[in-house]
Amino acid sequence: MKLCIIGFGAVGKGVSRVISMKKEILKEKYGLDISVVAVTDRSGAAINPDGLDTDLLIETKEKTGKISEYPEYGVTDVTGIHVLNQVDYDCLIEVTPTNIDDGEPAKSHILTAMNDGKDVVTSNKGPLSLCFSELIEAANSNNSIFKYEASVGGAMPIINFAHETLAGNEISSVQGILNGTCNYILSRMANEGSPYGQTLNEAQELGIAETDPYQDVEGIDAACKIVILANSVLNMNVSLKDVQIEGISRITPESISLAKKEGFLIKLIGEASHNNLEVSPRLVREGSPFAVDGTLNVATLRTDLADDVTVAGKGAGSIETASAILSDIISIWKSSL
Amino acid sequence: MRLNLVLELLDVPGQLLDALDPIGKLGANIVAVIHQRDVKTERGTVPVHITLEGDDETLKRVLDSIEKMDIQIMEVDGVVKKEKITTIFIGNIVDQDLKETVKVLNNINGVSVADLDLKMSDNPTKSASRIVIEADYGIKKSLMENIKELGRSKGFLVINEV
Repeated sequence: MKLCIIGFGAVGKGVSRVISMKKEILKEKYGLDISVVAVTDRSGAAINPDGLDTDLLIETKEKTGKISEYPEYGVTDVTGIHVLNQVDYDCLIEVTPTNIDDGEPAKSHILTAMNDGKDVVTSNKGPLSLCFSELIEAANSNNSIFKYEASVGGAMPIINFAHETLAGNEISSVQGILNGTCNYILSRMANEGSPYGQTLNEAQELGIAETDPYQDVEGIDAACKIVILANSVLNMNVSLKDVQIEGISRITPESISLAKKEGFLIKLIGEASHNNLEVSPRLVREGSPFAVDGTLNVATLRTDLADDVTVAGKGAGSIETASAILSDIISIWKSSL
Repeated sequence: MRLNLVLELLDVPGQLLDALDPIGKLGANIVAVIHQRDVKTERGTVPVHITLEGDDETLKRVLDSIEKMDIQIMEVDGVVKKEKITTIFIGNIVDQDLKETVKVLNNINGVSVADLDLKMSDNPTKSASRIVIEADYGIKKSLMENIKELGRSKGFLVINEV
């Protein structure tokens, strides 16, 4: 299976690392021989129809910051679209940064690949939360397989879990903690009584919160995931503008201590149901499934046959996210057999 | 005499057994237990109907012991009991007249404010209050919507139960 990885930040490197780690096992277990034929970043690309060395890709990026510096096969002045039009590949791994204004350039990458009949795996929330139905239609009309497990909750299995493991169930709502950064900040505030600003700064120093944490702390990242879940799990047709969003920046230590007195914790909860799309701080009982600490994600799916099913897992991290991407790649491979 | 109760139990193994255990020990007879796991409250808990027989004093002791076990009693002899709902407001609570907020809540049918706790912040616009409301069973969802609207109209951040 020939892969083209567009975007070589933390997730792209994670995918490369996971392929290095699992290459032989995938061959043995599934007969799946993965070959990365092209990788792009802002500097250009590395392209080799016979396959690139995944360890050397990471080494080149870490040493020089530019994938175009890849020995012998590095090229400058090419965009993702150019590469997709030039290279012979089977599956696009779209892992460029999320853009929630217009979903670009990820949206164009995905549509280009689909219109060419290629399969697509992405972790990119931008196009999924802005134009979900357009992407699904493009995939269907081109017989392209489109997988996006890594876009919600990193390694927490939820989309494929809902589609496959819970197949036959009618799912009426999904509710959960979908942003690890907010959960980390709120957990620290609850454990230490520290104010929001100080806790956010600490989280930034530890690399848990981004330098620009706006999308995380104002609930937008969680809202993107709620849109993806509403569309893919509840078969709705909604986008980001349909979600009521309130983040955690107004949460105070006083409110957390008042909640504690009554046996509650404050968590940022996303909720998708046919009559409510919302991200907001909510009170959860200490000891309940939502009372998770740190950067964990957790979600409860309400079903008609299996009742409530709760899943939890690491919501971020390059290897964890790459694990979800790899499972999508394997699933595409299996369906082609 | 007989007493009909509806208890709210978590849908986990052992809950019913734990709830029934003190009843016999206190000397009351269990006449009937209706435990339909497929009927759920909006919180996902199971309402269990229990009919007991015993003298006045024994039945009173049974009710006390159930309450002490933190098991919610939804109904006693057909009379709907209240459930506790907690909400937190953050904002300029004092200037926005807390008294009026409580009055608005108390005026909702089947609702009364049971407890109120206020924590002032250095910045008055970041004060927090916790309000515990007792409400008739079954109105929790619509009440939480009312609370959200009330908070929004006053510029508060409202943190409702999940």
